[in-house]
Amino acid sequence: MLAAIVRRTALFATIWIVLSENSAESVAFGLPAVAGAVWMSLRLQSPAHGLRLWRAAALLPGFLAGSLAGGLDVARRAFSLRPVLRPGWVVHSTSLLPGGRVALGGELSLMPGTLAAGCEGDRLLVHVLDCQAGFEGGIGTQEKRLARVSEGP
Amino acid sequence: MSVELLRQIAVYALTGAGLVFFLAGTLGVVRFPDTFSRLHALTKADNLGLGFLTLGLAVNAERWADVAKLALIWALVLLAAGTVAQLVARSALVRGER
Repeated sequence: MLAAIVRRTALFATIWIVLSENSAESVAFGLPAVAGAVWMSLRLQSPAHGLRLWRAAALLPGFLAGSLAGGLDVARRAFSLRPVLRPGWVVHSTSLLPGGRVALGGELSLMPGTLAAGCEGDRLLVHVLDCQAGFEGGIGTQEKRLARVSEGP
Repeated sequence: MSVELLRQIAVYALTGAGLVFFLAGTLGVVRFPDTFSRLHALTKADNLGLGFLTLGLAVNAERWADVAKLALIWALVLLAAGTVAQLVARSALVRGER
């Protein structure tokens, strides 16, 4: 617990220092903001299921490539004279914890052709922009990659 | 060609690319047929637009602290965009727009 508090305080304090350009007069706002963020993060994500940020950094290249492909795909459709959309839904059974599901959903919303709309039980509802483009194939891959970021061996 | 000129070209090219993607996102919102398809356009294209805009501004930045701040802003906006997209999609689904 203590280790989690120290780690999270360091993380949120770093974010505050970068955003406020390390100015002395912003400390009065920064201290309560950081304390509040740590408190809320402990309530929302227990230390037992914390994140390994250095593992998340390993996902960055794949994430950047995916969001580039996703943005290009949707831009191509938006600019085309007659946009080709074959929207539909797929249901993805997931074993991730609730926090992991939200993270997966958020990531899928930036990857090519997929958009998450929350869970029903342990089934993630995913909207697909084009049913014939095979976008849903990436969901399982993203889930496996994300699962490695959670704390564990 | 001087380094400064190359830098200026990079700034214009990157911020220009960012604007093109913001335009694409807006066009998608106007042209796509339903709430969910529009959300695809908005989140993905605007994410990329902000990414290119951030890169362009980072090339133009004079201090590393500014680069770090820009990168952090992009990361925080990404987190917010991914989360908000799910919330909007969820509420549209609950209202029966499927």
